Order: sequence, then structure tokens, then C-alpha cells
Amino acid sequence: MPDLVIVASPPGRHAEHAAAAFAAGSNVLCEKPMAASVADAEHMLGAARHSGRVLAVGLVRRMFPSLVEARALLDAGALGDDLRFSYREGLVYSWPVSTDAAFRRATAGGGVLMDFGSHALDFLAALFGTPAVHAYADDAYGDGVETNCRIELALPRASGVVQLSWSQPLVTGLHIVGSKGELTLQPSRVDSVRWRRSGESWRTLKSTVAWPTDLRRAGEWRTPRTYYDCIHAQLVQALRAVLWGEPVPATGENGLAVAQVIEACYRHPDPLRIPWLTPEEQAQTQHRHWSVERSAAA
Amino acid sequence: MAILAGRADVVPVVRSYKSVARNANLGAPHRLGDAMRAESLERALDGCDAVVNLTTGDPSEIVRTTKNVYAAAVAAGARVLVHLSSATVYGQIERPDLPDDAPPRLDHWMPYARQKGLAENFLRERMADGRLAIVVLRPGLVWGPGSPWVLGPANDLVRGGAYLVGDGSGICNLMYVDDLVRSIHAVVARPVTGFYNVADDETTTWRTFYGALAAGLGVNMNAVHRVSGDRYRAGLHDRLDAVRSLRAYRWLKDRLALETRTALKLRLAELRGGDEPAMSGTRSAVVTRTFWDLQTTRCSLPTSLFRATFGHQNRGSFASGLAASLAWLRFIGLDERAFAHELDSQAS
Repeated sequence: MPDLVIVASPPGRHAEHAAAAFAAGSNVLCEKPMAASVADAEHMLGAARHSGRVLAVGLVRRMFPSLVEARALLDAGALGDDLRFSYREGLVYSWPVSTDAAFRRATAGGGVLMDFGSHALDFLAALFGTPAVHAYADDAYGDGVETNCRIELALPRASGVVQLSWSQPLVTGLHIVGSKGELTLQPSRVDSVRWRRSGESWRTLKSTVAWPTDLRRAGEWRTPRTYYDCIHAQLVQALRAVLWGEPVPATGENGLAVAQVIEACYRHPDPLRIPWLTPEEQAQTQHRHWSVERSAAA
Repeated sequence: MAILAGRADVVPVVRSYKSVARNANLGAPHRLGDAMRAESLERALDGCDAVVNLTTGDPSEIVRTTKNVYAAAVAAGARVLVHLSSATVYGQIERPDLPDDAPPRLDHWMPYARQKGLAENFLRERMADGRLAIVVLRPGLVWGPGSPWVLGPANDLVRGGAYLVGDGSGICNLMYVDDLVRSIHAVVARPVTGFYNVADDETTTWRTFYGALAAGLGVNMNAVHRVSGDRYRAGLHDRLDAVRSLRAYRWLKDRLALETRTALKLRLAELRGGDEPAMSGTRSAVVTRTFWDLQTTRCSLPTSLFRATFGHQNRGSFASGLAASLAWLRFIGLDERAFAHELDSQAS
């Protein structure tokens, strides 16, 4: 029986595979999204609690030093109040995959919202508190999954818009504006944020926030500088949770919260406006949107 | 849009599963086929009536993939192969009376253009066989939403690195993407073997193109750098490109771990202030030979043969193409004013 099982199967199978691991007495580090539905996520959490084992979720951005720095700035009131944000993340998909499971609703549960969206929503939750969905629109048609989506969110400390894409080279990053200043950070720069007080010049804050790099109690700590450093730090932290009872970076509860937001989005999807299409093409996208076909089927 | 309109007979063939992602919203069936492996392509094209070759990749693969696509199309019993070549096979267009089907220049400095030319010559020989109709289309710079010929200049304009060669009066031979698709449809419907150029109806200069993009993005054209058009001087970018095309470079790159490559890229980006948000707009111009050549083009691409054979397929104009392109640039977030507007609307 392994101490830690990494569940990296298609999201639609996570609950089944995690439950099997818990039943065998293992701890679990589950890739994001934790589950393709709230019911699956609750099932996983229940199985973890029942077995008394660790459930860590691969929401790796919790390891970003930039997240820690941004939160510290917000906590210190550096940006003031009335916080509003815009979060964009998009590129032409290039992750090497061995099947098309990630692109089918039956196996993946959804598209780019499940994929990048899990990270984005968890990152925002870590900064601003649990998100509530005000509006959601996507470009899924017929049996397809969304490759573009837009979410309007309200969180305890801020409100804003998230835009995600698997097909467009979005100008990626988080931009927060408050009454006293603004801040930007990019997922590709895990260790720095740029910010300024209103009327002042931009400054770059390079983080020295560090995480353990091995399993020794008094081992080495290092600041992650790349995404891969963060993935390594996340794995180390999951193993330290098993070995020493330390907290995991992202818990099953965090994973469940993300699943709840995603499910709220999919409950009432609107057709995403693709502004460069002709009026005739726009009408076609409205007509073929999956919400229309779902309503017709119901 | 054809699939969205209900056409079930258009089937994308992709090299690997990751390419399914960008069309995953359509829920349409796709087939896997690697144009570098003839047998996989034959399976992918089985039952196809018309094959449109849009393969991209390393220039050194162009001839081989063209041969494989042709062979697979023949094996599938297709009646027509539409091959997308490029106006770059001509090199610069320096005379107004250039015949539409002029042979490619195989001495071009750009490997891509040379290999596209060699692929054309292969198909020219196959045309004589008459086993299926072969239509070679040579578009100019395919532009519109999603095009690198829009994104590149727009990025440069916003970040302060845009430049015009001379007074910007060079001809920008554009082909709007939707009109290219319409042209392909027309060719498939009534194929006539041969070589055809396709381009927009309007003649556009680079000054007009950059000026229109700049106006749409709220960028002052006075900030656009001016570069002498006397002769091209190789800059750091092109010298690095020459290194990148070396076999030894590719050998080394293939053996570096992804983590190492990522760390190196990040370090380089930091050194040049790379992907920082567009707030300063004070970059210097990085002149590349490709853009220098394009901007010193003197004549329009001749397209009369296409129009005479397939009719006039262009529906758009420069203004409509520009409006769609700007809408796309705002969608991807390139126009910083869009963010300010979004914040205002959130506040209200």
C-alpha cells in the first residue's frame, strides 16, 4: 500500500480512483479539478474523512510566492478598498495529451473552465474569499465543451471578471484596482508582483517566500522561481502532511469550493458574445449554444 | 463556422490530440493524422472527397508533408486537392506584370519560402498526371481575428516597438481570412487545376495598415519608429534566428529538460523586460528581415487568374476586416482601454 497516491486520471474518474485509494489505506494528492461535479467532490471528502487519510488537491498556485505577496499587500490595505479585478488566462492549447478525454464533457466534466478555471477560481478564492457567480457565458455548442468563457464574480473582498480561453492568446494576468492603488501579477511569474500606489510609479516586488524542499523536519527551504518548482514544493508539502501532519497547500474543502463555483456556472450558461463574428454568425452561435439544446432536450 | 452551420461533411484532421482543444467547443468529430507519416494520413483521409492541405510545421518538413498529403489524397480517391502555398514563394513582388502562375524563386533567403516553392514544384509535376484536380492557392498575408499578422503589429504598437520601413508606402498584400475560406469553398465546388494567387481587393500600404490599427488601439502614430529603407541590416533577432535554425541548436534544445527550458526562457524574458504589461510604450524597434522584406514590397499580388476562373469571392473590405480584427484584439485584452472601461462598468 503506497503512502501517497497521485490521482491524475480524467476528472470524471477522480472520485472513483480517490475512494479506492482511501479504501486501501493510502493518502491522496488529486490533480485539479478535484472532481467533475459537486457530488463527486463531496464523495471524495467523505471518503477521506472516513478513512482518516490526507486529501490534498493539486491546486498548485497556492504555492506561488506571488499569491502570498499579493495577499499581504491586500491585508495591509496597500490598495485601499473597493477592490475590483480582471483576470485573463488564455492561449492556444498546447499541453501534450495522450487522449481527447480532456475535451469531452463525459470524461472531463467541461472545458477550459474546468481546466484553467480551477486554478483561477482557487487563486481568487485564496485572495478574496469564496466566489459567488453573478453571470457566466461560454462558447460550447452541441456536444462540445467551452473553449472560451467569461465569469462575473462577487467575492467577500472584491468583485471582477474572469476570462479564460483554450483558443485565444489572451493577455494573461490578474489586475486588481483599489481606492489607493493597483496590482498586477502573471501566472508565468510565480515569484513576483507589480504594484503601485495611485499616482506613483510601478514597482516590482520579488518574493523571498520559501517552502520546504525535502522531508526532513529541519531541512532546506527555498523560494520557488518557476511553475515546476511549485509543483515540486506541492508534492513535498503533501508528503510532509502524510509524514508530519503539516497542512496541505490546498485541501479537499478548497477543491469542493471550486467545484461548487464551476457547477453554478454550468447551471445557467449564456452564449458568449464573440464580437468579431458577423450578425448572421452571431445568431448561429446563439441558436446552437448548449444551453439551448439542453433546454430543448428537457 | 461551416460546422456550426450544420455541415457534417467538414472533418478536421489533426496531428495530435492537443490540437482538438481549440475546436472542442464544436463537439465535432476529428481524425488523427500525422502528415509526416504517410500511413496515418491515408487512414485519416479515407473516404474524403476533397482534401485541403493546411499543414504547418518546421520548413524542413514542408516537401515531405506535401508529398504525403498528395499520396493520401490519391489513395483516398479524392477528386480535388487544395494546397495552401504562400505568396512568399515569389520573394518580393517588384513588377506589376508578374504572371499569376509564375514559378517560385528557389533562391529565396527564407527556408520557408524555398521549401514552399519546392513543394509547389512537386505538385506542378503531379498536375500532369491528372489523377485528381490540384489547386494551389497562394494567399498574401492572411489577416483577421487570430492572425499573427494582426497580433504582431498590434502588440508592437501597444508596446512601443512598431516600425515602418521608409515612409511606409510599401504594399501590404493582405488576404482576409473569411474571404480565403470563401475562396477555398469556391475551388472545392468547381476545381480547375493550376496555381492561383488570392488577396484582398483593396491595395493597402503598410502605413495605412499600421495607421488604422494604431487609431483603433488608441496609439499615437508618432510613436511608430522609422527605419531606413535603403538596405537591410541584420539585427540581433535575425542573428539569433540563424542560430536557432542550426541543427546543433535543435539537437541541444531537444535534450534540455522542459523545466530547464522554462527557467531559461523566464530569465531571458526578465532580462529584456519581456512580457511586462504595456505601460511604458518605450521599446526600441526590433527589425527583422521578414518584415523589412514585406514592408519594401512595391507591387500588389496579381489575382486576375483566380477571379477569371472561380469568380469574385471576396465579400469583405479593409474597413470590415479591420473592425473585426480590432474587436478580436479587444477580446483578447490587448487594448488597455478595454480594461479601464470594464472597471468603470463594474463600478457602475
